[in-house]
Amino acid sequence: MRIKPSWWLATPVLLILAAFTFFPLFSVLRYASWDWSGLSEPTVIGLRNFQRMLSDRELWRSLRTTFFFALLILPSFLWLSRTIAIAIEGLRSERFVKALLFLPGLITVGGSAVAWYLLYNPDYGLIPELTTLSLPWGSEPWAGLLYIVLFTLWQSTGYGVLVVSAALKGIPGEIKEAARVDGATETQIRRFVINPLLRPTLLFLTVIGTVLAIQSYTAVFLLTRGAPFGSTRVVGYYLYETAFERFQVGYGAALTIFIMLLTLAVAVIQARFLGSHQLRHSS
Amino acid sequence: MMLFNRLVTLVFCLFVALPILWLLYAAFLPAEAILSASLATWGFSLANFAALKDTGIWRALLVSLLASGLTVLGQLVFGLMAAYAIRAGLRVLGIVLLALALPSELLMVPLYRELQVLGLYDTLAALFVPFLASPLIIFLLLQSLRRLPWEMVEAARLDGAREVTIVWRILAPLLRPELVAAGILGFAAHWNLVLYPKIMTDDQKLYTVQVFLTELLRSRPLDWGILGAAALITTLPLLVLYVIFEKRIITIFETSFK
Repeated sequence: MRIKPSWWLATPVLLILAAFTFFPLFSVLRYASWDWSGLSEPTVIGLRNFQRMLSDRELWRSLRTTFFFALLILPSFLWLSRTIAIAIEGLRSERFVKALLFLPGLITVGGSAVAWYLLYNPDYGLIPELTTLSLPWGSEPWAGLLYIVLFTLWQSTGYGVLVVSAALKGIPGEIKEAARVDGATETQIRRFVINPLLRPTLLFLTVIGTVLAIQSYTAVFLLTRGAPFGSTRVVGYYLYETAFERFQVGYGAALTIFIMLLTLAVAVIQARFLGSHQLRHSS
Repeated sequence: MMLFNRLVTLVFCLFVALPILWLLYAAFLPAEAILSASLATWGFSLANFAALKDTGIWRALLVSLLASGLTVLGQLVFGLMAAYAIRAGLRVLGIVLLALALPSELLMVPLYRELQVLGLYDTLAALFVPFLASPLIIFLLLQSLRRLPWEMVEAARLDGAREVTIVWRILAPLLRPELVAAGILGFAAHWNLVLYPKIMTDDQKLYTVQVFLTELLRSRPLDWGILGAAALITTLPLLVLYVIFEKRIITIFETSFK
């Protein structure tokens, strides 16, 4: 006997998603044709917001910053996730390390920002005071970006470690045993057995990481607000600033569409490129 | 090679632990540290907590607890219902996964307009209603349901159990550990929203802890003791939950990504 599932059980979720995720997705198209400060009555200006984007130097600069940011963060995020997950596999401290690394993602971001500020502030932070190490993120553009990168790694590496570790546990022990019986050394096992099997997971993390790198900007808001000299103004933060601090919400809507399309394009290209790369290796 | 990997792990663990330990300590910085403008002054003082009294932090905590609590309640109740419907064959998983890829951070501009039109802008409802359905929680609960023996549910249905009974009398008790873990993740995600509540509310009475903290950091950047105490107080609820349920949280994450 086949019993039909009940529609009504999923209704609340579908209604809420429709109202607050999918409806905004479509309405943003309409708002993008508005000249609107957020409080005044909007006026329709057609495609002028998109025209403005083409000659918006700050937008292109923020895209470059985002690109550098992603370039710095992605390889280190993947490398750390993989290295740490492999290093702690089967150790007694495995649980402790995972719990510790996952913690920053959960503790209050505002609190984390305060802790980082008190710890690394170049003028009177604890680290610059106790050591000679100092990251002048208030005045040097490179240091500002590095500061955001370190904070983001601090926050999200635990998640990567958990995902890779789950994948490692999913590799059946027999495969490794078989390789060992055939005389493979541990290095060879890691290189020819484990690494290829981890590739789908790393691809997953790459795509997720890229999407986050393009879209997230809370860290920038909390730590540097785009300073020094706009060197940390990633494209997501530029969107926030334009819409809600310069009160150009209509232009913000156009930027939202642009960022969504950009994310989609990058994710598709990555999945294609890395996906086919992976096929070639495993065949 | 393995030695090198472990060294990297050790260094990174220290790097992660340092700000957390500092967060715990900075709250107790004595006034001398602030007077001498040196954070490297060791000592212990509770004065910072007393100084927080008139800053509005308790109200912010109350708003956050209320908003995040209601959010999680809705996310779990609606999420379990939806996950069950999907597990039973309803084909809406694609929609849920698509929503997972659309963070509220990105949809802030259209949501801002929508809440204004609906009359929800600058109300408590703005803080939780749009979050009542969490694609991540639905996904995690669905993965947990997939590990349960489904014959049990089919048998209950054949015996004439109603859907409500199945969800609340059979599945909910069985999934209690997963519900707790998913609930904490949902609570943390909502508790940690910074820009969303900042944009969607204006009234100081509706400040969440995150908005409160960012305003404090902006208005009193040199009051380290107060900043530290406020940071600790606003982190404490999550820290306690995490310490108690850490194993469940890690497990639900790992098993879902296998």
